[in-house]
Amino acid sequence: MNAAEDVLTVTEPEPELIVAPPVRRPMWRPGLGFLHPRMWLPLVLMLAVLATLWTWGAHSMPYLLPPLGDIGDTLREDADYYVNNAWVTLKEALMGLGLGLVAAFVLAVITSEFPLARRAIMPVAVILNVTPLVAIAPALVVAFGFGAAPKLIVTGLICFFPILINTSMGLRAVPQPVLQVYRTVNASRLETLWYIRIPMAMPYLFAALRIVFPLSVVGAVVAELSAAGSSEGLGTAISLASSMNRLAAVYASIAILALLGSVLLLLVTALERRVLHWHESRQGNGG
Amino acid sequence: MPGGSVSISVRGARRVYPVKGGTDLIALDDVDLTVPAGSFVSVIGPSGCGKSTLLRLVAGLEDADRGDVRVCGVRPAEAAAAKMLGLVPQAPALLPWLTVLKNVTLPLRVNRAASRRRASAPGPSMEELLRKAGLQDAMHKLPSQLSGGMQQRTAIVRAFGLRPDVLLMDEPFSALDEFTRESLQEQLLDLWDELKATVLFVTHSVSEAVRLSDKIVVMAPRPGRITDIIDVHLPRPRGAELLKTPEFHHYEDLVRDRLRGAFQANAA
Ligand SMILES: Nc1ncnc2c1ncn2[C@@H]1O[C@H](COP(=O)(O)OP(=O)(O)OP(=O)(O)O)[C@@H](O)[C@H]1O
Ligand SMILES: [Mg+2]
Repeated sequence: MNAAEDVLTVTEPEPELIVAPPVRRPMWRPGLGFLHPRMWLPLVLMLAVLATLWTWGAHSMPYLLPPLGDIGDTLREDADYYVNNAWVTLKEALMGLGLGLVAAFVLAVITSEFPLARRAIMPVAVILNVTPLVAIAPALVVAFGFGAAPKLIVTGLICFFPILINTSMGLRAVPQPVLQVYRTVNASRLETLWYIRIPMAMPYLFAALRIVFPLSVVGAVVAELSAAGSSEGLGTAISLASSMNRLAAVYASIAILALLGSVLLLLVTALERRVLHWHESRQGNGG
Repeated sequence: MPGGSVSISVRGARRVYPVKGGTDLIALDDVDLTVPAGSFVSVIGPSGCGKSTLLRLVAGLEDADRGDVRVCGVRPAEAAAAKMLGLVPQAPALLPWLTVLKNVTLPLRVNRAASRRRASAPGPSMEELLRKAGLQDAMHKLPSQLSGGMQQRTAIVRAFGLRPDVLLMDEPFSALDEFTRESLQEQLLDLWDELKATVLFVTHSVSEAVRLSDKIVVMAPRPGRITDIIDVHLPRPRGAELLKTPEFHHYEDLVRDRLRGAFQANAA
């Protein structure tokens, strides 16, 4: 009983503890400002330095790092192979993300509307969150086989918790005076939820999505890596290549994964800018 | 709204907040108040004397532990269900993702059954009300793009736009500078004159209370209670010139005097 109470207190975290608070600066502003050398030169220089270091490392420790040229070669020669596997992993990541998003959002609404449900669900969600997913993945493979199912579940689980916590916090973040205004006109619970609570939760939801979009790729890869018999996906490609000591192929897959993660981050940033235009304008005003 | 009738009636209302490990806090004790329909009544008193609590009881946001509260003859919850109430809290309480126009029309779109039943008397549209409040250029702006005074005006239009029988305002101008405050008082009086709602107005400012009200209710804390009710017989409309007249100062002095009593009762 006491332990359960403890878990409960853990479930009311400060926003900062889980993810960045929803008030944040846009990563970059629209416009052509990025064409100015001041914007791109630092990054280009940094990349040049890293490439030089890499080349030096590949030269002195050939068994640790493949030359960049080799990575480029395998990417070019087996382009189809990488594109197909990247597509498989991306699909798993996005579908798992969708699954986690829907489940977490629905549960967030339920837990914020019904305190009793919150007391039942939140401790379980916390326990699930602190359980290492890398450890769950093999068990899921045993249960669901080498198909897509365990990958979607692992990805969904990884995305689930940040969305649940943030959304349920956002749904309850409506200031008291606002609620009072709408209570004096007798707005129904559903109306309050739809017109007030859900829009209020959007910045919180997006703060979670910014973390979870790139994370979904991690979930898909972890699941692929734990399903030794899988035939597709970049995670499978990595374990295959490393078992055959093909370092260049391993790093080619890793590079594509990094690219996928960045693309997903870009996607969620663009989405956020559309949905939360009102939220950004607040920052522009310093008010 | 039946003429000459009573709009708000509070009888022997008591409200107690339990205090953990101490004596309970009596926020309101045996409060009696009658507000005639169409009148403007201010509530003034030291901090913590129960002004907001009284307002919350009338708004139906809380129930009295004892006594009876009626709005136009019905219980506050029923008045809220029938959309007879408008509330202007201390903070503008606007929704940051909606434009000014959408902010003020949202209360009309919720609880539609009551909106239809009220089938409001022909009166100014929301756009017109916003224009009257000097918000014509702000209609399609977001709250974050407005000054504090404009936000508060939006909140007032949102409440007036409901065409409520009773308007409840809790220190709506307290966060504004003096000049903004005075011009908003004037606009409030104009709107009130046109739409004829009953207003219960909580304030900390003596001159604000005198300028706006037909009646000033003075309260004292511990326990929260009404110590005085002062009728203000000043001619309307009450423009800016009135603020300099001896009659106005007479009422200010009178209210200040009674307030001092309330503070002393507090110390005793
Ligand atoms: N929800 C609550 N729980 C416990 N005590 C409360 C609650 N609301 C108000 N009180 C107490 O009741 C008393 C009256 O509060 P109220 O807010 O009505 O005062 P007020 O006259 O509006 O003060 P102010 O001028 O500072 O706004 C205060 O002592 C306050 O601490
Ligand atoms: Mg108050």
